[in-house]
Amino acid sequence: MPENINVLVPITYVYKNRVGQFIEKFIKGLSQKKILGVKCPKCKKVYVPPRAVCGKCFSRLDKLVEVGQEGILENFTVGHVTIDNGELKDAPPYILGVIKLKKADSAITAIVKGVEPNEAKPGLAVRAVWKEPPEDNFSSLDYFEIIRPSAKKRRR
Amino acid sequence: MERKVAVVGYTQTNYEKESPISRERIAFDLATAILQKLKISRDDVDTIVFSSNDFMDGRTISEVYLVQRVGAHMKDETKAEADGLNAVLYAWMRIMSGQYNTALVVSISMSGSQFRPLLVQNHTLDPAYERPRGLVNFISGAALQARAYMTKYHMSEENLAQYAVKSLENARKNPFTPKRDGVPTVKDVLNSKPLYDPLRELHTGPFVDGGCAVLLASEERAKELTDKPVWIKGFGHSLDTYYIGDRNIIRVNSLRDAAKRAYKMAGIKNPSRDISLAEIHTNFASEEPIFTEALGLFPDGSGVKTIKSGISRREGKLPVNPSGGPIGAQPMNATGLVRLVEAVSQLRGEAGPTQVKRARTAVVHAQEGVCAQHNVVGILGV
Repeated sequence: MPENINVLVPITYVYKNRVGQFIEKFIKGLSQKKILGVKCPKCKKVYVPPRAVCGKCFSRLDKLVEVGQEGILENFTVGHVTIDNGELKDAPPYILGVIKLKKADSAITAIVKGVEPNEAKPGLAVRAVWKEPPEDNFSSLDYFEIIRPSAKKRRR
Repeated sequence: MERKVAVVGYTQTNYEKESPISRERIAFDLATAILQKLKISRDDVDTIVFSSNDFMDGRTISEVYLVQRVGAHMKDETKAEADGLNAVLYAWMRIMSGQYNTALVVSISMSGSQFRPLLVQNHTLDPAYERPRGLVNFISGAALQARAYMTKYHMSEENLAQYAVKSLENARKNPFTPKRDGVPTVKDVLNSKPLYDPLRELHTGPFVDGGCAVLLASEERAKELTDKPVWIKGFGHSLDTYYIGDRNIIRVNSLRDAAKRAYKMAGIKNPSRDISLAEIHTNFASEEPIFTEALGLFPDGSGVKTIKSGISRREGKLPVNPSGGPIGAQPMNATGLVRLVEAVSQLRGEAGPTQVKRARTAVVHAQEGVCAQHNVVGILGV
């Protein structure tokens, strides 16, 4: 079998993607330590992050609402890797949580700290922790911390 | 249905980490293999549908270099950007329109050697928020989905590993998938490299190069072309909302929706009784219980019972991925079409070492997006 003839084609690109007013306001809100959602006038559901259309109702969304900074850890995974530019890289274990914030109907994903990865479990209460000073981008919301000890610890 | 459509020919390459030949040559080999098997020429092909991904191929409208290689010169051609099973859906509709009597569907993937498939997947994420944060991706999404199912239905990591081992055992018998040294055991799976808990390296298959093709034909043409037509009995296609935090990721409602439509069209009232085999697009072993339940093949939450009972094994009553499925090989953008090719070979009794018994009706499936946002379901029968 003859050896493959390959050409290496480098592509460097910068896309200027328009993010839309809601994500822009969401990011701005985070820089002011606020978590914004949007409320559907028809089904009354509050979505975080905010978006322009409720898929279910096909209604235009325009009412931004602030949601709670506390919530419940609904689900989580412990990451041992990250994907960096399409390559798997090892990482010290971290908790990636799915969090239902107060006054929101959809859940968001975020890093969770304040509990050992093997002690995390669904149902724990969490609270937003902000970067000081906050930045003008989404990373102002640094992570969520566990605010109540687990039931097992409380019993002791 | 207005018009009956059959799969009359099929072919696939070996799947390997790096193909010794170019994608253009693969396209030529696939098309000529199908034409030769059916003893027809390119004049007998009315329309062509590809599936490929421009970002993966590093070219705009990347099938443009393939059209001459499959005999599409001065013909009508289009492509599906998602999976080859979507391309079958388009080809089927083209024949149903009455404009065409035959359609060639070709799907080629160079995801093993050409570019970084994880980067291509990551670029399906919203560019302003989720992509730069680097938290949600296809693997972490599948891990959250697996964890949610396992918590709700009390599935252990051993049970999950059994799903991986079942697929790896089937894949070992499949001559098209890359060879492994022996079949990993449950212990090997549990000791493999952790990705995002509970998912590990051996819960997923390697990205590979390779491709497959099928020829569809209207009823009258099908009867002229083959004495073993495999009929397309139904199709369903559904798309859920983008953010996983909006969705019920263990119900996978868009899969339930797509399945409902496909079964209705095919007149299937009780899938667990009427379906004789399933070939489904599982990027991770954890997706098998979740997807087969969404497809109505097993009761909701029965994943532990199902894997323990052996019912979904190749020799079981309702085999799931007797080919090994994508846990054996993932040719990105062709993975779902491979499911159809495998099911067709099963229904024709030509699956050789992976052949199941009494295969009459098959369900085939392809997915796209984090936690299977987008699903296509097809029903095939003989």
